Amino acid sequence: MRALVIALMFTLLGLLAAPAIHAQVGSGPIKIQIVGAEQVSPIAVSDLKNLAGDDDHKVSTVFVDTLRRDLTLSGYFRLIDPASYIENAQSSGYDVGQFNFGDWSSLNAEFLVKGAVTRSAGKVQVEALLFDVGQQRRMMGRKFNGVPNEVSEMARRFADAVMEAVTGQKGPFATKMAFVGIRGSRFKEIYTSWLDGGTPVRLTDNPTINLFPDISGDGRHILYLSYKTMTPMLYLADTQSRTEISLAPSLGMAVGGVLTADGRIVAAYSRGGATNLYLLDSQGSELKSLTATHGLNVDPAVCANGSLLAFASDRSGDPQIYTMDLAGGSVHRITYQGNYNTAPALSPDCKKIAYESRIGGSFQILEISAAGGSPKQLTSEGNNQGPAWSADGRYIAFSSRRGGSAQIYLMLAADGRITGDLTKGEGDDTSPSLSAWVGE
Amino acid sequence: MTQARRCPRGSANEAASAARRIVPLVALLVIVLWGCSSKKPETNAGANAGSQPGLGQEGLGGTNGSSLSQFQKGTLGQGQGPLSDIHFDYDSYTVRPEDGDILRANADWLEKNPQAKVQIEGHCDARGSEEYNLALGARRAQAAKDYLQTLGIAADRLSTISYGKELPLCTEDTEDCYAQNRRDHFAVTQ
Repeated sequence: MRALVIALMFTLLGLLAAPAIHAQVGSGPIKIQIVGAEQVSPIAVSDLKNLAGDDDHKVSTVFVDTLRRDLTLSGYFRLIDPASYIENAQSSGYDVGQFNFGDWSSLNAEFLVKGAVTRSAGKVQVEALLFDVGQQRRMMGRKFNGVPNEVSEMARRFADAVMEAVTGQKGPFATKMAFVGIRGSRFKEIYTSWLDGGTPVRLTDNPTINLFPDISGDGRHILYLSYKTMTPMLYLADTQSRTEISLAPSLGMAVGGVLTADGRIVAAYSRGGATNLYLLDSQGSELKSLTATHGLNVDPAVCANGSLLAFASDRSGDPQIYTMDLAGGSVHRITYQGNYNTAPALSPDCKKIAYESRIGGSFQILEISAAGGSPKQLTSEGNNQGPAWSADGRYIAFSSRRGGSAQIYLMLAADGRITGDLTKGEGDDTSPSLSAWVGE
Repeated sequence: MTQARRCPRGSANEAASAARRIVPLVALLVIVLWGCSSKKPETNAGANAGSQPGLGQEGLGGTNGSSLSQFQKGTLGQGQGPLSDIHFDYDSYTVRPEDGDILRANADWLEKNPQAKVQIEGHCDARGSEEYNLALGARRAQAAKDYLQTLGIAADRLSTISYGKELPLCTEDTEDCYAQNRRDHFAVTQ
């Protein structure tokens, strides 16, 4: 019921906002502010009750901090300040009948998360429960078993479950991100992390240039371009076996590439000034030539659940977005507004394309139907680049220089509302790529 | 939740050389083993990355006169070398008429130094997608290569590379700065 109400509110807001946004495309940046308290539910996330072994509250702290961050990042919840909580999580129970809902309704909490932890001999069990405070009922519960360094992952899975219980659709937090970061040196390196930016791990370590990471659906493989041999080449890294191969089809200079859902590669190679797209197998052998123009065909993007390819091409005279079916078929031009449209990203259901467009003097993220039509402008502040869809199709990650340095932000695809930042590196973090749900 | 995390055993060098082989159509397939470190404790967003060694610690050395090796040394843009840069209009790869003299002078120098080979680097300004700019830079490098070939310089003395927008000479958001960055640089490789 509540999910329906929230969904309805978003639909209504979308309808109200959409015409204004459409009208502004091409006529300069506009301010999009659709932040209404009415669509954001107040939620309390209590500390975990220590049943055994978590006397230092380390498990509780990691679980609760991660869950609080992800629920806030979702844009659907406002975290009630933990300092204001009345109840003591350790002295009260954590299931219905063992605590007082009045302690939470008096804080105006609409939802409440409580839980418990048992830790012994390197093993952790976390039980977490979601309550509807107004109805004083338990909505959902999950039990997680694992080792201590999996506790934040448990929290991300629980955040996804909370979103499913409240909005009817699973959240996107148990997914991985790959990105380019300048952190601790002058050089662009490839990093992986969780979607929320947690647990960043550096994948590359060479003082050259590393670009365009594309993470596989299962989060295991990363395709990227590197100058590590002083010449740009594509590499396919396996983060589990910690091996990588270099791709070297005799097609010219590597310009970029992405992994398809079935493990093949769509790559751009430049030869004689022209850049064209090719379908390669997972080892880098050419299977098929996809474009053959004298101009530039770049920024390939494939959709997670289909065979649609989107790309940018200057075949009309300036860069525009096109689609093509990987299985074969004709090329369709999608964008007609603006004269610099690049970096398409296909939504997981293959129905929408987010892309960069130069509007006035700045670059903004727009969204358009994969079948074409009128674009919708999602960002308006600063320069924004490199859109990537979340696994649930509700969010778009992108990099922006709005705060000075480039950082990666998350916004709701429905209305462009920014729900938070995914990175806070000391340098520039750009080029996000997002996986599907991992470990499932 | 249970996720096995295995650490490969044995010598990385051994494994790498055993795995090194030529595959038809694929060219070189190099398998590099990462170092294996214990998993770092959980950190929150924005915290420092784990100190895990990265893949492929190459990239030192290489083409000495290239902009990338200059960037590595922190000397990008210092000292022009014997050949001069040419510049391009926004989103254009057409050699400007006024840059014909520069290309003719570069061709003269190449004629007088017949042993010299040149890598022509295409560069772009900061605007637009990285990948589109990488392709545009390749096109700019090719434009100069074509021009030098029409002036009689043999194709096998001229290679091309694009750095896209990755190696700017200046980083301000001004037209002047953008114009400086939209360039072909000519790195003498031998």
